Amino acid sequence: MGLAMRGDIRDINSGKNAGTPDSGMPRRLAAIVAGDIAGYSRLMQLDEEGTHARVKRLERELIEPTIREHHGRLIKTTGDGFIAVFDSPVEAVRCSIVIQQNMIGRNTTQAKVQWIEYRIGVNLGDVIIETDDVFGEGVNVAARLEGLADPGEVFISGGIYEQIKHKIVCGYESLGDRKVKNITDPVRVYRVLPDPSAFKRRRTQKQGLAIVSLSLVVLVLAGGVLWYLTMQTRGPVARTASTSTPNAPRTDASRNGKSTVAKATDAKIRSAPVSEPAGQQQAKTPVAPIVPPATVAPAIAPAIVPQPVAPPLREPEMVPLPGGSFAMGSNEDASERPVHQVTVKRFAIGKYPASIREWNLCAAAKACGFTATGPDDAPVGNISWSDAKQFAAWLAETTGKPYRLPTEAEWEYAARGGTQTRFWWGDQLQPGAAHCKNCTQVANNEPPNKVGGFKPNPFGLYDMGGTVDQWVEDCFHRNYQGAPTDGTAWLEDGCTSHVLRSGSWRNDARYVRPSNRDGYDTNVRYPTHGFRIALTL
Amino acid sequence: MTITRRRLLQVGLLTLPGVAFAKGKPAPKEALLYIVWPQDGAVIKGAFWCRFGLRNMGVTHAGDNFQNSGHHHLLIDVDEPLNPDEPIPQDKSHLHFGAGQTEARIELPPGKHTLQLVLGDADHFPFVPPVISKKITVRIK
Repeated sequence: MGLAMRGDIRDINSGKNAGTPDSGMPRRLAAIVAGDIAGYSRLMQLDEEGTHARVKRLERELIEPTIREHHGRLIKTTGDGFIAVFDSPVEAVRCSIVIQQNMIGRNTTQAKVQWIEYRIGVNLGDVIIETDDVFGEGVNVAARLEGLADPGEVFISGGIYEQIKHKIVCGYESLGDRKVKNITDPVRVYRVLPDPSAFKRRRTQKQGLAIVSLSLVVLVLAGGVLWYLTMQTRGPVARTASTSTPNAPRTDASRNGKSTVAKATDAKIRSAPVSEPAGQQQAKTPVAPIVPPATVAPAIAPAIVPQPVAPPLREPEMVPLPGGSFAMGSNEDASERPVHQVTVKRFAIGKYPASIREWNLCAAAKACGFTATGPDDAPVGNISWSDAKQFAAWLAETTGKPYRLPTEAEWEYAARGGTQTRFWWGDQLQPGAAHCKNCTQVANNEPPNKVGGFKPNPFGLYDMGGTVDQWVEDCFHRNYQGAPTDGTAWLEDGCTSHVLRSGSWRNDARYVRPSNRDGYDTNVRYPTHGFRIALTL
Repeated sequence: MTITRRRLLQVGLLTLPGVAFAKGKPAPKEALLYIVWPQDGAVIKGAFWCRFGLRNMGVTHAGDNFQNSGHHHLLIDVDEPLNPDEPIPQDKSHLHFGAGQTEARIELPPGKHTLQLVLGDADHFPFVPPVISKKITVRIK
């Protein structure tokens, strides 16, 4: 009270805000994840450079992307750990579980001494977040929780537990209130177990151990009594025996109880075969070469493909389309409802899906993630949405033209080619009209070896249905409830899946319909996924 | 014990056609894939969270080539056997979880449905031997 008044008075006097220095840094509630590597200094002693490289790689390949995927923010990494903040406690804990589960797999390729095991603590707290650091008691508690956790485990505070207990089906084991260093109030601590049955297993194990130790006590006592009765002269010895032995199993039991999870993990990893050395994995490029199902692409292909000086760019063949209005969607699948009227502006769209030749120009310019293998005229596959975006950005930059991905509405408008029927050619499947599974009398489950192998639609566009799935700009939504009607892309920040259109050679005729739609993880590649470029006119 | 036997049976059934051409990565024998929730025979009202359980292997992103780890695929009402020579299909009955998801919100029309998990490697191929869960049946009210 006194302080506030002094502040007020000073305000009046100086005419300036004399408030606390952190008035420009708003506090906010956040879920804080603190992780660190158990036995980091031991690992560093074993192999300083190797450990450093492995940890950096883990951060790049696992920690950072996983945090991003769960809508969190990596605040900082220290030598052996990291701190991240999340708006959602659920996402924070999910992210922690994903990291721990992933580490199990990674460690199986290493000898036990080489294992990198994270301990993770998650706390909900009111904190001050700066660009490269985060402050507040909430952070300290997260760090202490992490310190309490055994390697490979996630410990959460009571605050987090209350938020997530009904939302993430995991086992939660209460470890009671713990006093943590430099924090006044005790913190309620829970151990996260990967699934509820693990919790039951732990419980029964504990009960089992209790029964065993109890029967041991009884046995030892009975033995002691027998001993005493038969060899009365040596009574005192028997008495010490019967009082000291019961302690041993009891401490054992409690220690076992505490580390069951770690042990279970140990068992998993130990039983897995240890083979491929770490160095080999390092050598592998993170980008997978295109692997059409029928061919075996050598893993080293991207490395040995010659990278010639980029020839003058031949732009993709584009078809300009007039703007127009059409009924988007259908009643055939829940994802395509409700049917709604959409108006699109004029734009141009690729006559064909992007080909391997086109893609590899971008790859040669080092603007796209990998070099595709296969016939030059084949549609490029194994493309993630992010890959497709990279291509569009490169094409736009190189040509100075507004190349981009089509919006979902534009794609359907173009695919319908002015028709409102089930397929662009009518309501019935026509043999040989599109490249899809079981769409022709002849079984043809081979991947397409060229684009434009089938009849074009009324707009003169090829492969608008079948051949390859095609990414569009929009975030995936389960249906059209709330979709825009002006032909623009339906976006939101940080969406993790985007829309695929067209169906592929591996999907049946239902997927070839122009209204068919599906969603797929934004950053994941799959052999049948390609794209088609668009251009703003 | 029953779990092992069931798995062996499934593995047997799955690997019968074309085992020689399988392209997937090797999986440890003791890998166990299972559906944590719902339980076999469950009657469910509306949409539900399906939880994926995996023991003795790790979950990773699709595209990550780490030994003994893969990503989940949920097969809904799929009767045809998996082809070990091809990537696990991607369509409305083969849902992919390449971002390392360990659960999914599932919405199905009323009636009986089957659910089954298959673990895929970095390139979406089933492992060798396939790491596949028991197929469960649920009824949506």
